[in-house]
Amino acid sequence: MKFAVGMVTGAAIAGLFPGLVAAQTSPETLPAVRIVVNSPLDGPIQPDGALTLREAIAIANDTLALDDLSVPEQAQIEPLAAGEASTIVFNLPPEETTIYLTAVLPDLAAPGLVVDGTTQPGYGATRPDLPEIPVPVVSLTPAPGREVFRGFTVSGPGVTVRGFSLYGFWSRDRATKTTPPADIFIASAPPPADSSPDAPPIEFFNLEDPEIAPQQVVIEQNWLGVKPDGTTPAQRSAFGVSIFNSVGAQVRNNLIQNHEGSGVITGYRATGLALVGNAIIGNGVAGIPDAVRLEGDVTEATILNNLICANDGSGIFLFKPEGGTLIQGNDIRFNGRRFERAAVYVMGAGHQILANDIGYQPGPGVAVAAAAPSDRTLIRDNRFTQLQGLSIDLVTQNNASIQDFQRGDGPNPPRNSRQRRRDTANGAINAPSFDRYVFDRGGDTVRLVGKADPGSEVDLYRVVEDAGVYSPLAEPMMTVPTAADGTFEAVWDDPAGGWVSAIATNPEYGTSEPSPVIQILGTDGTSPDRPSPAPYLATCLADAEPEAPAPPRAVTPDPIRLRIPRNIHFALDRSDISPESAAILDQIAAALLDYPSLVVELHGHTDPRASVAYNQALSERRAIAARDYLVRRGVAPERLRIVPLGESQRRSQGNSRLDFARDRRVEFIFTDTQGLNILFEDLETDLQLE
Amino acid sequence: MLEHSLFVRLGRFFFLRDRRFRRVFLRASFRFFSFLIVSFVLTGFLSQIGDFYYPFQPQPAIAQVSVDNQAGGSFTDAAGNPGAVTSNTTTIATAGSAGLTIIKTADRAAVEPGDVVVYRLLVRNTSTRPISPITLEDRLPLGVRYVENSFTAAPLRIRSSRINGRTFTLEFGNATLNPGDSFTVAYAALITPDAVRGNGRNVAQASAPGVISTATFRLTIRPGILADCGTIVGRVFVDKNFDGEQQSGEPGVPNAVVFMDDGNRIVTDVDGLFSIANVISGNRVGTLDLSSLPGYTLAPNLYRLSDNSQSRLVRLEPGGLARMNFAVTPAFGEGQEQ
Repeated sequence: MKFAVGMVTGAAIAGLFPGLVAAQTSPETLPAVRIVVNSPLDGPIQPDGALTLREAIAIANDTLALDDLSVPEQAQIEPLAAGEASTIVFNLPPEETTIYLTAVLPDLAAPGLVVDGTTQPGYGATRPDLPEIPVPVVSLTPAPGREVFRGFTVSGPGVTVRGFSLYGFWSRDRATKTTPPADIFIASAPPPADSSPDAPPIEFFNLEDPEIAPQQVVIEQNWLGVKPDGTTPAQRSAFGVSIFNSVGAQVRNNLIQNHEGSGVITGYRATGLALVGNAIIGNGVAGIPDAVRLEGDVTEATILNNLICANDGSGIFLFKPEGGTLIQGNDIRFNGRRFERAAVYVMGAGHQILANDIGYQPGPGVAVAAAAPSDRTLIRDNRFTQLQGLSIDLVTQNNASIQDFQRGDGPNPPRNSRQRRRDTANGAINAPSFDRYVFDRGGDTVRLVGKADPGSEVDLYRVVEDAGVYSPLAEPMMTVPTAADGTFEAVWDDPAGGWVSAIATNPEYGTSEPSPVIQILGTDGTSPDRPSPAPYLATCLADAEPEAPAPPRAVTPDPIRLRIPRNIHFALDRSDISPESAAILDQIAAALLDYPSLVVELHGHTDPRASVAYNQALSERRAIAARDYLVRRGVAPERLRIVPLGESQRRSQGNSRLDFARDRRVEFIFTDTQGLNILFEDLETDLQLE
Repeated sequence: MLEHSLFVRLGRFFFLRDRRFRRVFLRASFRFFSFLIVSFVLTGFLSQIGDFYYPFQPQPAIAQVSVDNQAGGSFTDAAGNPGAVTSNTTTIATAGSAGLTIIKTADRAAVEPGDVVVYRLLVRNTSTRPISPITLEDRLPLGVRYVENSFTAAPLRIRSSRINGRTFTLEFGNATLNPGDSFTVAYAALITPDAVRGNGRNVAQASAPGVISTATFRLTIRPGILADCGTIVGRVFVDKNFDGEQQSGEPGVPNAVVFMDDGNRIVTDVDGLFSIANVISGNRVGTLDLSSLPGYTLAPNLYRLSDNSQSRLVRLEPGGLARMNFAVTPAFGEGQEQ
């Protein structure tokens, strides 16, 4: 007996304060059992014909006595040898593999508990574009009409959650939001959704003691926020994995998609987090927009080999974290669908951003904050493609405006005072500067000479795009040291010419911004052309490697001829899609599916009435609504970008109801990523007068 | 202030009509100044003398050397013959310029009730003549009280002082201020709470026969401890334990916007802190502009129902301090209709 007050009271306490179970239960005393869930039903715990997941968790937590179950249910429970960890496996009837939850499940509190969805017969099929993450069979989602704000709540050490599809976990607003809803929430003391007479005492949230935090939790091979058939659920989940308070959690090989907020978000502590091999796609559509948002203590967190694509804000955003992280080998593409943020935004000290592919971002590649002291950020061996900003942007002079906390501030002037070391990210390390903008060929090789901060190493990158003076660092070429006076020298031995930019790294300060691009003439006195923009295909999953630039087309291809409207219209002060607009959106979706090389910017507009700020938000809601419709029609989110323009660009000049009706629109700006021309025809069938 | 006297002898006939008298008057030649008739006195028909005067103020800024003045009169005798007389010419030397200057200063420009301010008067003889006797008069602002026995003067010594309400008068007996010399008078005054109602302006005047000079000084009077304004401080931070208070590990949110009930817009700093000074006391309401922090929204407070609100009501005492904290949490479900 673990509770001095008795089992009934203990269960009641567990119901009220789920985390108390973890706090009061000593791990040694839990009997190890193997539990087979064979009922997809959910409801109150009661002796009946089959064992539900809720009952299984209660048994594993030892908050439910075997005697309270029926005999057939007890038959699903098999004791294991002492020292083994409890396991919950599944044997649901085929075609009934979705568990509709009626309430939040009990915490997974038993140490070492393994909840294994891969045990369900039929598991193992994979999708061709997602080979590492098999399609789950067992799904968990709230029952229709029920609000369940968390899928699995993990509060015990060593718990493993494997092979589930979790979606639709969300909560309605009260006076404020609730505490964070999530598909999987990891904390020793998960807070209740809202204030109630049962709210636990403040002492309950012992966040400071790392011993209490769940250790070594493993979340793997789950599909979070997406149905097993790959579609977006009607109600999106709020967050994917919320690592609120945990030590050494491992989140690996999950598909984390379609969340309203971040796909992965940390709270108070996520030390030693290992975020490995996940596909984090299309998150942040109606909330915090960043795919991976790290806050709190993230000492030694590693983010390795993830695909982070088509999210609404940054791919990875570190907001005032403690401790340094390692961000390596990730493919961070097509983010910033709604906010023009940096692909990776960094605050704090000692982060390493190595060997990532970062591209297709309406912002800089890596931005490092100044105002929240940030230094020793090493940014090396990354490959950047198609950015609207610098590859590496160090915020300078304590800039702290909204832009500086999302996007950066552009190229920095050289350090002109030692005070810059304190008010600029990465200790204001100077970008290298070459002696010339164009290096002529003197012989077989070209000596590229320049100057950087003494004591730093200079990484030279090949540049292939033409995006102005500062173009994305496409490919690391070589690293050369600096002499004592800061001069460096590299040898270019390619007979062809090229374009080169460089960054300097000093471990004491971090990595610098890139130098302006220099041109190297080939033996024939020319340099290769830099296409602007290079053709590409906007897709997250089709192939994980960024494809080589397509060869130039031999013949001039026919332009794409689109016989579709490019506007949808809205009712006054509304952002919902009317049936007429839906018909237009269906045409647009069909065109997008027909021509995979098309990408679209959705420009939201309003009529000029009401305040600028209100209209700005309204235009964003309209663009989001249109995008949501297209995504549900199967258009990949990486091809859609939201640009809310408010009342700034009216369609009409006048002030009649018809003019205003024309103003209330979302415009679709099609672009062909392969450089084809598009011919359009205008239609206007869905005007909605007041 | 000077007085010119004009004597008009009317001859045999003591018949004087107003109209003629006016003519007499108008023919008097006044140079350099516009004349102002304050009054005139007719001493009597029998004396056959009309005596009237008009005052004028010398114009100190004009570098004139002297003021000449001459009057003339005309009459008609019994035979009907007109006649005219002119007066002698009076000349007033202007002694270079005004005789005295006075400068008033204080040891501070802004005061609060309870402060003591030290005023200092500098009187200088800028004329070419010695000046004596000198009288100083000073009228203190409302609510500013002279501190007794605080007069000091150097090098002249105060012979007598009279205090009448907020006005005091200092006399220096027969002491003479030679050309180019100056003397100072210092005294202390206490700022009483009444001063808040006044304008802090006072006028000092130094006078001697024939010369007068004034100076003003204005103190800025702050309400100080009597202010009815208060201060609001607050913070916008990411709440991790949902108690509405910021503990360690709960970072502040920069660039969040708080609107006050009077329309003031306040932006948080890098650490998520903000403060508003000079807030009128009473019930004040602030609200967090959620559109200013994309990605965050109000966090639930598990312990205080009143904090589960987008706005904060504080009761601000006069001169008091109130706190307005906004706990936020990562957002989801933004912009949904219904």
